[in-house]
Amino acid sequence: MSELMRESLSALLDDEANELEIERVLSKVADDPELRATWVRYNIVHTVASGQQPMHLDLDISARVRDELGGQAQGGSAFRQRWLRPLSSVAVAASVTVAVVFGGQQLAQLENGSYDGQAIASSVSPVGMVNSLGATSVQASYGTRSSVPVLQPATHTAYQELARQRLQKYMQEHAEHAALNSPNGLVPFARVPRIQE
Amino acid sequence: MIVKSSSNWRLVLFLPALAGIMLGSARASWAECPAADADALAWLDKMSRSLQQVSYHGVVTFQRGDEMQAMEVANTIVDGMATERLTELTGQGAEVVRVDHPLECVHPGHQLLQLGTSLKSGHCGVSSNYRFGVTDGELIAGRQAVRILIHPRDMYRYGYVLELDRETGLLLKSSTIGRGDKVLEKFQFASLSYTSNPEGESGPRLVHQAKHPEYINRKLSAGGGRLAWSVNWVPHGFTATDQQAAISSRKTYTDGLAVFSIFVEALSQDIRPGEGVARTGGTISYTRGMHMKGVPVLVTVIGEVPLNTARMVADSVVEAS
Repeated sequence: MSELMRESLSALLDDEANELEIERVLSKVADDPELRATWVRYNIVHTVASGQQPMHLDLDISARVRDELGGQAQGGSAFRQRWLRPLSSVAVAASVTVAVVFGGQQLAQLENGSYDGQAIASSVSPVGMVNSLGATSVQASYGTRSSVPVLQPATHTAYQELARQRLQKYMQEHAEHAALNSPNGLVPFARVPRIQE
Repeated sequence: MIVKSSSNWRLVLFLPALAGIMLGSARASWAECPAADADALAWLDKMSRSLQQVSYHGVVTFQRGDEMQAMEVANTIVDGMATERLTELTGQGAEVVRVDHPLECVHPGHQLLQLGTSLKSGHCGVSSNYRFGVTDGELIAGRQAVRILIHPRDMYRYGYVLELDRETGLLLKSSTIGRGDKVLEKFQFASLSYTSNPEGESGPRLVHQAKHPEYINRKLSAGGGRLAWSVNWVPHGFTATDQQAAISSRKTYTDGLAVFSIFVEALSQDIRPGEGVARTGGTISYTRGMHMKGVPVLVTVIGEVPLNTARMVADSVVEAS
């Protein structure tokens, strides 16, 4: 997969994709398994970061995407129409996202139900998170081939806290190098929360 | 103020872009580097040299979001050696000094800015990754400034507005510009004097001696039980700031203007895969929990780059073969 494509995927995930990037992803997603796999991977980490329930993203979304596009593109080339009518392309992107997200949430709900009564073995990780990876089998259903680990909402906060702690821990070391390799002299040290001797 | 500069920003960036398109194929024949703005690159070269080679002292402000810090900075040249000093006037009040840094010691970030004659030989430095514009600046700390508008050519880095002393090239003010022309952080001289600083009395303050790469590496390699890892992808134009062994816990990259560092730590217990983000001004801390050949690791990217860049770099970290 090209660098450009990974860039577009990441941007799409953050709702920061422009027209060209949306077009690029949509035109490739149907016949590129690697692209879909990367999309799944990006989504898993992104979902955790945004505190949502994990979704089953290992769906074949390409059919839905094609349907959405087909519906929107009647009466002319989808690409051309999108350029001529920027608003409609945003609508396409939005509806594709909705299709993917909605489908995923439904699945998550279904599967959550199946966990009732099952004990989830867990252990505390060194960073204060609860690990339930691999503790329980996830039933395959409706278009999914593999399972996504069950993540508790706490993971979201825990990872944010981790990122904050790491910023404190590593900022000075980063600043040592920034001070020698960027145009502001020693000023990067002003970014260090608490300078150590 | 911000509104005004952002409209200038667009206009000035648009013109060179247009010129670049019009020049088209002719460009390659007269210069290896695409759309190199000789004027802007000459200023950046001068800026980079003056930072080290000119004696000065002054007070600067550093603004990130609502937070404003003030500090004294000084650079003193004696016998080909630079001594830099930064003293915080707000917050912690810490002092950072770098004593006797040889003037001929030019680090990779500054090598990318000090292009000099190497432009013609195909080393494009920062011009491969940024577009430039040069306009008149305002008065900053009593000095007439020239304004360099720096626009990234891709989404992996931020834009900058740098204002340099028209006479000496010293960086008087810099703004880091994120998506939507948002100013993420701003550094600016409030007062400036081109003389050597009288030795400031430090009192009971904490004094940190800024480190040179060899020192940092020696210190870090002392720690045992580390993972060998490598970074498979960094955005175009980023180069390592120092030599790093595969087992080092850190690798740092710069494109001359932006810098980011990657830290990898092996965890003793399992971690659920995920990501977390913390931001302050132009700095991002992106932490990713993952497994490297079965070993749970935490990969953290810290730097003055967009979230996408940090995520993609973290995504490319693999165990060294």
